[in-house]
Amino acid sequence: MSVVDPGPAAAPGDAGIRWQRPSGLLLRARRIQAVLVTVPVALAGGLIAGLVGSLPLGLGIGLGLVVVGLLWERFLTRRVAAWGYAERGEDLMVRRGVLIRRLSVIPYGRMQFIDVTAGPVERSLGLATLRMHTAAAASDARIPGLDQAVAAKLRDQLAALGETQAAGL
Amino acid sequence: MRPEGAPEASEPGDTVTVPAPPDMATWHRLHPLSPLVRTGRHFVSVGILILVLIFANHGGSNNDFITDFVVIGIALIAGVVSWLVTRWQVSDGVLRIETGLIRRDSRRFPLWQVQAIDVVQTGLARVLGLAELRLRMAGGDASGGRLACLRLAQAEQLRERLLAMAHAPGLAPAGAPGAASPASPASPASPASAASPASGASAGVAAPGPERLLFRVRSQRLAGAIILSRTGAYAAVVIAGVGLIAGLSGAPGAAAYLLPIVVAMVLTVWRQFNGEFATSVWIAPDGLRLRSGLVQTAAETIRPGRVQAVRLVEPLLWRAFGWCRLEVDVAGSRQRRENRSEGQRLRALIPVGSRADAEQMLAELVTSAPRPTLGAPAAARWKAPLTYHFLGWNGDDRYVVASRGRICRKTTWVPLEKVQSIRWVQGPVQRRLELASIRLDVAGRRVTASIQDRGAAEAQQILARLPDQARAARELNRA
Repeated sequence: MSVVDPGPAAAPGDAGIRWQRPSGLLLRARRIQAVLVTVPVALAGGLIAGLVGSLPLGLGIGLGLVVVGLLWERFLTRRVAAWGYAERGEDLMVRRGVLIRRLSVIPYGRMQFIDVTAGPVERSLGLATLRMHTAAAASDARIPGLDQAVAAKLRDQLAALGETQAAGL
Repeated sequence: MRPEGAPEASEPGDTVTVPAPPDMATWHRLHPLSPLVRTGRHFVSVGILILVLIFANHGGSNNDFITDFVVIGIALIAGVVSWLVTRWQVSDGVLRIETGLIRRDSRRFPLWQVQAIDVVQTGLARVLGLAELRLRMAGGDASGGRLACLRLAQAEQLRERLLAMAHAPGLAPAGAPGAASPASPASPASPASAASPASGASAGVAAPGPERLLFRVRSQRLAGAIILSRTGAYAAVVIAGVGLIAGLSGAPGAAAYLLPIVVAMVLTVWRQFNGEFATSVWIAPDGLRLRSGLVQTAAETIRPGRVQAVRLVEPLLWRAFGWCRLEVDVAGSRQRRENRSEGQRLRALIPVGSRADAEQMLAELVTSAPRPTLGAPAAARWKAPLTYHFLGWNGDDRYVVASRGRICRKTTWVPLEKVQSIRWVQGPVQRRLELASIRLDVAGRRVTASIQDRGAAEAQQILARLPDQARAARELNRA
């Protein structure tokens, strides 16, 4: 992927951690999702404004919403690039976020269950989202945009690790 | 047949040695008066409604009463049917509750996964000498089992036995939460159980072990504290507002429409007072025992090692009196409807007490309580001017403590062995100031120890160190 890695390189503990990235198709999936939202919203906004107000107003609002969608797309690139995960000996690290950057450390032994989900857009590109659940509701660890095969492999791997290192509440 | 437990169930003598006495392995019914107690809540609400209606329009619409009585009647009949089809049994360390007439519902509660067992008595149940048994499991939702109602003695005894069985080894899978714990430093169950797997454990625990009083709340102080708390302040404002409206409008009848609000506020305050009245905490071999309540009494047992976090809360007004509140978080929520307002809060071991009380309790709960002495770096003053003065953290190899708060200081201790996940978070302002926060999540949805606004380099160090420390603490705990 040709995207410049924006900030997360400066995230803590990076030395010696091999970050793995979601599939390059994730950006495309996010773009499709952005288009799927922007186009109807821009159309509807423009139509309503055009019918209630005047034709130029409708055109202006429609175009404005499209511009918002384009700005969103620019941000998406950075957001997608910020995702990363690293499997360490005893825990999994997941990092994400551009504006608010987060880095979660989830010990394998703490995983209660693992979800693999795929929405329609993700499915059409052969992607899936992996989500790990611990007993704490606040710990939110998910990795979007994994190749379905990679996701399945990672799921089995994590489940096996979780089983061997399981710890009680 | 005897619908309720066999008579020998209340004999304390024969319970000590056998983990699952034969009388528990058969199917039991609940007490025949339970439908009445369960419907009792409706009586109370209807009573209040009648009073309000009489007050508002001098006993006008009788139809409403009839509807209400029909509703109560239906509820009673439904209760009786539900009683008829409900039965419970304890076997192989599993409590089974079967219920449901049309849709059969059979639930199994593995006792080694029980987080806590409560005995709760509503006002009506107290009059009839009945009690409700509630099992709290780790699931965040309403996944707990309840047996409503049993005779009080039977409920108490069943709780003892269930707790004893919950401790019995061999039932628990490897690595299941063990006996070593911050909650009870001396846990006689574990050596005993190591010696003789089945009977030793239950003997060590089922014996009504020596209880030691840790804390008892003072009633006057509790009343004062609730008045000075946020709940009390809200209630005062609302009641004053309604009084003002009534006074200004000159028609007391107008205020009648606002009466439900007043009633609701009074009920909120009352519920808190009732729930925390006469709170006493005892330490016993099977965990911490909490008793509280004025009309509705509750007896709870928190098993050792199940305390996920300890929190000390010091509101502004309380600090003037040197009061504070000590709460613990136990995995699994208090699920009952009437406790919803309470469910938001943590379980208060000390609803209100002096610093000395809190220190003493803390020493019992946390073997080596570190103090949040490491203040935040000066840069944090810009990001959090209002909370800066309370920000702090510290940690040793077993606990992490973090404090924060604007006018109400909250200090949270988290045992490292209970940490579920660790998060490093940096917002845009923090990035500019070279700050970052570390959050430690524990089971349950309410408590997160947040080491707020540390210098970026320090946060990085903490993040690099904590996972290993937490793992070491877990392994220490398992050993």
